[in-house]
Amino acid sequence: MNAASAGQTPLLEIRDLDVAFRDEKKKPVPAVRGASLTVYEGQTVAIVGESGSGKSTTAHAVIGLLPGTGHVTGGQILFEGKDIADARKQDIVALRGSSIGLVPQDPMSNLNPLWKVGHQIKEALVANGVATGKAADARVVELLEEAGLPDAERRAQQFPHEFSGGMRQRALIAMGLAARPKLLIADEPTSALDVTVQKQILDHLDHLTDELGVAVLLITHDLGLAAERADHLVVMYKGQIVESGPALEILQDPHHPYTQRLVASAPSLASQRLSSVEHRVEVREAALEHAEEIAQEVADSSAAFGQGRDDIIEVKGLTKVFTLPGKGPFNKTDFVAVDDLSFSLRRGTTTAIVGESGSGKSTVARMVLGLLEPTSGTVTFDGVDVAGIRGKADRLRLRRQMQPVFQNPYASLDPLFTIYRSIEEPLRVHSIGTEKEREAKVRDLLDKVSLPTSVMRRFPHELSGGQRQRVAIARALALEPEVVICDEAVSALDVLVQAQILTLLNDLQAELGLSYLFITHDLAVVRQIADDVLVMQNGRLVEAASVDQVFSSPEQEYTRALLEAIPGGSIPLGVVEAGDVLPEVTLDD
Amino acid sequence: MGWYILKRIVQTIPVIVFATLIIYALVFLRPGDPILNLFGDKPVSEATRATIEAQYNLDKPFIVQWLLFLKGALTFDFGTSFSGQPVIDQIQRAFPVSVTLALMAVAFEAVLAIIIGTYAGIRRGGWFDGISLVVSLLIVAVPIFVIGFLFQIFIGIKADIDWLPPTVGGDWTITDLIMPAIVLGLTSLAFAMRLTRGSVSENLAADHVRTARAKGLSEGKVVRNHVLRNSLIPVVTFLGADLGTLMAGAIVTEGIFNVPGIGGLAYSAILKGESPTIVSVVTLMVLIYVVMSLLVDILYAWLDPRIRYA
Repeated sequence: MNAASAGQTPLLEIRDLDVAFRDEKKKPVPAVRGASLTVYEGQTVAIVGESGSGKSTTAHAVIGLLPGTGHVTGGQILFEGKDIADARKQDIVALRGSSIGLVPQDPMSNLNPLWKVGHQIKEALVANGVATGKAADARVVELLEEAGLPDAERRAQQFPHEFSGGMRQRALIAMGLAARPKLLIADEPTSALDVTVQKQILDHLDHLTDELGVAVLLITHDLGLAAERADHLVVMYKGQIVESGPALEILQDPHHPYTQRLVASAPSLASQRLSSVEHRVEVREAALEHAEEIAQEVADSSAAFGQGRDDIIEVKGLTKVFTLPGKGPFNKTDFVAVDDLSFSLRRGTTTAIVGESGSGKSTVARMVLGLLEPTSGTVTFDGVDVAGIRGKADRLRLRRQMQPVFQNPYASLDPLFTIYRSIEEPLRVHSIGTEKEREAKVRDLLDKVSLPTSVMRRFPHELSGGQRQRVAIARALALEPEVVICDEAVSALDVLVQAQILTLLNDLQAELGLSYLFITHDLAVVRQIADDVLVMQNGRLVEAASVDQVFSSPEQEYTRALLEAIPGGSIPLGVVEAGDVLPEVTLDD
Repeated sequence: MGWYILKRIVQTIPVIVFATLIIYALVFLRPGDPILNLFGDKPVSEATRATIEAQYNLDKPFIVQWLLFLKGALTFDFGTSFSGQPVIDQIQRAFPVSVTLALMAVAFEAVLAIIIGTYAGIRRGGWFDGISLVVSLLIVAVPIFVIGFLFQIFIGIKADIDWLPPTVGGDWTITDLIMPAIVLGLTSLAFAMRLTRGSVSENLAADHVRTARAKGLSEGKVVRNHVLRNSLIPVVTFLGADLGTLMAGAIVTEGIFNVPGIGGLAYSAILKGESPTIVSVVTLMVLIYVVMSLLVDILYAWLDPRIRYA
């Protein structure tokens, strides 16, 4: 539906909204400043922004569910012309569910684990006076069916833990739409889900809200997704709305510097750009050159660990079977996590392993790192069979050559260690250098990952997510490894930070001739970092090809489905290219 | 589930066997002569001593004593005390009062802890929360015998309420046990309360509670259906374990209020060095602990559908 039908009262109109939280000293900390936006009946409006931009806070203010000390400090929230910013509590409760519905972000934590799914949807019907008793039970089944859940009658009698993530999100959609609200707030409704599931759910949500004429306020960090799903975009940055307008217009002609950077960096959009491919080629050439020199050195030296081969990692017939307890007392079932996987990682290049949750990709990473023993198959590091390595000294030498970077920069750094200690620890474990030399090395590493040396004395909680991931990369590089295994290394980061870290990884590869094994669920980031792609599904290798082949002519149905699921794939590109010089925006990172 | 319970029951067998062995060893190593204790200051003739030693197997090595005890225990014969009473009779007399006392104490503790804790958790940082914290710390800080005596003096004697006597004695009734039960319950009330409070305030911030509010539920329904039940899981677990502790470990309270329970029985048996009684009572206490922890685990699975044992 087209916006701004003249004379029509908007369904929701936010005017100069200010929201603030109180800190420990009860001083107000503004989270949203002067935000204004309008949603008309049946329209889909998306608020786009990174974490901390105030997008979720704005949405929660509408439904009166600001967390903790959050409160509206100024402005109006007009719902059907009535200001609800300062409404009495019972008036807001009356609106919730029946007039304004919510589909929350994380399907894993948004259903009460102790109640059956059907019961939780029934509550919404009863509370809003839609139906009671048997009629409500019947309606629950209809709603679940409508949300696209097969076998709804049986499913309604199950507990949330018996549902997969996608099924839970469908149940939450059924719940949000149960009392037929006029406005549905969808807060990152699919960011916790696999890409293919994400696409199915969003398609279904689109279809449902269209059919029912429900207006949607979509909150998302993904510009591509927002542009694909919404008529109208609102871009938020540091609590303020920096740009708003029709989706396509913003994507193709962004005015605000922040939006311009966002359009240029969003992986879902960047993955289609030729500039990112060209850039990757340059990186690869430089990396291969360095890697060749290193290989030559290794081959010439008799003291070196490896043999200086072209394929630094070779994996043959790698299989991992986990034994799970079965139903009966003595019966056990086998679960094949990784099934007969073979690949090789060329020195100085990046091989990406792409797959959805449960595909076995992280298990592969752990086996290659030697943290998990394979059931069968071999991992060869530069001509040396990893399984054959005995003795602590040789094991340490292998570890020096292979270092991991994990997904969650919040969890992978010891909160009680200073940044200096975290980066210095591997050097100490491997007894490298004197204290002075180690300090010089840490300084050098921080410089490599573009962090100021002043962070050395600080603790992880004082740094942003992107800074922490830089620390994790510095730590991985401390031992000058030849291979870095990145397990979802950029998945927990905001798009702009994600783009920065990918650039950093590229630069480091070109400079040091590193080889990366890059594990990810997100095919979109692959194009900016990888040379070869392995697509995994249910523990099996589905497709193995170069990045260009995968993107231009994928052979397998599953790979095509993954590609199609990248949000914003069908949107014509903006005029800003990744290589263009962009105005600087100060970022928290 | 059935298989799991069976496994747990089988696991208790070695626990019990070794518990009795350790207790037997400790009693054996205890200084002092039980027969001398029995006769007080009067001299004991050699013949009498030999008779008693033979009767209670005191002349045999302790490992044999232990095996004989185990053999008897299999047929529910736990031996006799020095005063000639079968141990099983002693336990049968003392056990009901201890169980009743513990159940009453836990009921008192549970009701108060859940009500106060929930309210404090909802109004975290408010004046009610502050006062409940101070009062509960005060109760924890004061030793139980002081609280016990205060109750006896001010409620039992000064107020002189008929149905709240200061001591219990042999012919006890339920109302007699009210005061000791309150005193006993107070010991862990503070902990249960803080546990409820923390659990409630944590659950209030849970995502699914926000979702419950978003679907239009009233605040009362949100708290009753989505906060309380989730919050009670750790509390119930604690209370279950506490019931075991209170059944077996109420020696001080039983002493103050003259309750003829298991704690008192164990205490006097230890003083007299009556190994059959000590070993039987302590074994029973071990058994209570084991059974209670199994019950708590089963309760846990019943409360939380995510938990399945195999």
